[in-house]
Amino acid sequence: MLELKALSRHFGGVRAVDGIDLAVAGGQIFGLIGPNGSGKSTTVNVITGLLPPTSGTILFRGEDIGALPTHLRLRAGIARTFQNIRLFGQLSVWQNLWVAQNSAEDRARQGFFARWLGGQGGVREEIARLLEFSGLAHKQDELAANLAFGEQRRLELARALAARPKLLLLDEPAAGMNSEEIAQLRDRILKLRDTGITIVLVEHVMELVMGVTDRIAVLNFGQKIAEGTPAEIQAHPAVRKAYLGGEAA
Amino acid sequence: MDAYTIGVLTNIGLFSFVALSAYLLLVAGELSFGQQAFFGVGAYAGGIFTAMYGWPLPLAALAAMTLGALAQFLVGLPTLRLRGLYFAMSTLAAAEMARILFELLHFQREVKGELTGPDGTQGFRGIRWIFEHGIEPIDYLGMVVGLLAVVLAGFFLVERSRLGATLRGVGQDPELAASLGIDIQRVKLGVAAAAGALAALGGVLYAHHNTYIEPRNFDIMLGVHSLAYALIGGLGTAFGPLLGVVLDIGALEGSRVFHDYRMIVFGGLVALLLVFRPRGLLDERMVRWLRARLP
Repeated sequence: MLELKALSRHFGGVRAVDGIDLAVAGGQIFGLIGPNGSGKSTTVNVITGLLPPTSGTILFRGEDIGALPTHLRLRAGIARTFQNIRLFGQLSVWQNLWVAQNSAEDRARQGFFARWLGGQGGVREEIARLLEFSGLAHKQDELAANLAFGEQRRLELARALAARPKLLLLDEPAAGMNSEEIAQLRDRILKLRDTGITIVLVEHVMELVMGVTDRIAVLNFGQKIAEGTPAEIQAHPAVRKAYLGGEAA
Repeated sequence: MDAYTIGVLTNIGLFSFVALSAYLLLVAGELSFGQQAFFGVGAYAGGIFTAMYGWPLPLAALAAMTLGALAQFLVGLPTLRLRGLYFAMSTLAAAEMARILFELLHFQREVKGELTGPDGTQGFRGIRWIFEHGIEPIDYLGMVVGLLAVVLAGFFLVERSRLGATLRGVGQDPELAASLGIDIQRVKLGVAAAAGALAALGGVLYAHHNTYIEPRNFDIMLGVHSLAYALIGGLGTAFGPLLGVVLDIGALEGSRVFHDYRMIVFGGLVALLLVFRPRGLLDERMVRWLRARLP
C-alpha cells in the first residue's frame, strides 16, 4: 500500500527524517511511534505533500507520488488528521464534512445541480452516516470552532473519512483524551480497519498503540531504530533505551 | 427623486460592484489593493466598444467583463503564488502599471466627424451611449440596481453551495484545504477571474454614467476604498460590502454635513473597526446570529 524508501527531510542542518525505509501492507494498522521530535509528524507531512522530501521515494500502491501536489495525493486516496486540530472554525460541522467530500468518485456519481446545493440522496446520506459514526449528529449545525476538544478530534476523523481514503494517516489522534475517549477511539479505528482502510497510527499513547496495531515502527532522531509486532517492540532493547533512557536497556 | 439623490444612489450601485470584487477575494483569503485596475479595464473597454465602434451597451458590458476576467486571471497566474502581504503588494504594483498604461494609451478614431477615444492623461470623452439612447438617469439607476440584484442573487447561490463553503475554507486555511483534496490554485484563479469580471462591470457602468473617464479615476484610492467597504461592511455576507458603500458614499459623501470631513471620518471608521471588528460589522458570527433570529 505505502512504501517509503530512504526518505529524508532535513531542515537546514536538522535531520528531522533521515533515511527511513517503511512498508505498510494493505489492510494493516501500522503504528509509528517514537519520542517527541523523532520525526513522526514530519514523516506524515512529507507523505501528504505538505513538505517536500529532501531525498528518497514515496510509493503509494506501487506509484511514485513524491512529486504530486497535496490535493492530488488526497485524491489518490491518502487522507489524514492533524496533530494540532485543524478545522474550518467558521463553518458548521456539516459544512466541514461537505467541503471534504469532493473526491473524484463523488463527482462522477452526483449530477451538477445536486452537488451544487448539497444534493439529495448520496451526499446528505453519507454525511449523516459520518456524523452518526463519530457521534456528532446532534451538533451538525454548530460552528466547528464551538465544539469541545474531543468533538473536534472526532470531526477531524469524520472529515478524513469523507474523502473515502484507502490510506488514513492519524497524527496523534488520542492526544489529550481521557481513557474512556481512548477506548471509543480504539473501537472506531478497529471498525475502520474492518471496512478495508489501511491505517498509519502516529501515537504517543501506548495503551492505544499496543492494543490495535498489527505492526509498529519506532523512530528516534529521524531514524528507524526498530520494527516488528507490538510484542516484539515492547521487548526490544533499543526501544526501551530510547523511551526510558540508558539504564533500562 | 431629485437629480442629486439619483446621482448618489447610482454611485452607490456602481461602487458596489468593485466592493463585491474585493469582498470575493477577501472571502477566499486574498487582500487585493488592485481592484481599481480591473474597474478601469472595464471602463475603458466598455467606452471604446460603445463610443468608438457603436456597439450596444449590453454587448460592450459583456465584452468588458470578459476582458476584466481575463486581465485579473492573467495577473493572478504569477501573483497568486505569493502569500499574504506579498500578494497584496503585487496587486498594488499591477494596478499602478495598469494606470500608467491608461496614461500612455492614445487610441482615437473619427466618429461622426469627431475624434473619439482614450487620449492619455487627457482622458476619454464622449461615452454618451445612454444619452444617445434617451435613457433617463432614473432608468439608468434602475438598470444598475437590477444588475446588482442579479449579481447578489449569484453570490447567495454560491454562498449556499459547496463551492461557497469551499471558498471560505480556502480563505481560512489553504493548507488544510489542499489536504482535503482542493486545488487551491485553481480555486483562487477562478475567484480572481470572477472578481475581475465584477470590477469590470462596475467600470463599464461608471464610464457610461460619467461619460468621461481619465486615468486618475483608477488610482490607488479607489482600490483602498473597495477593500475598506468590504472590511467595514463585513465578510459574513455579500450585503457586507454593500453596507460599506452605503456608509461611505451615502452617509459621508452624500450628506452635506459630513462631506468635507469624509476622509477623516472614513479613515477613523476603518481604524476603529480593524481593532474592534476585524472581519467587519456583518461578520460571520453576526450573520449567524441574525439568521437565527430573522424569519
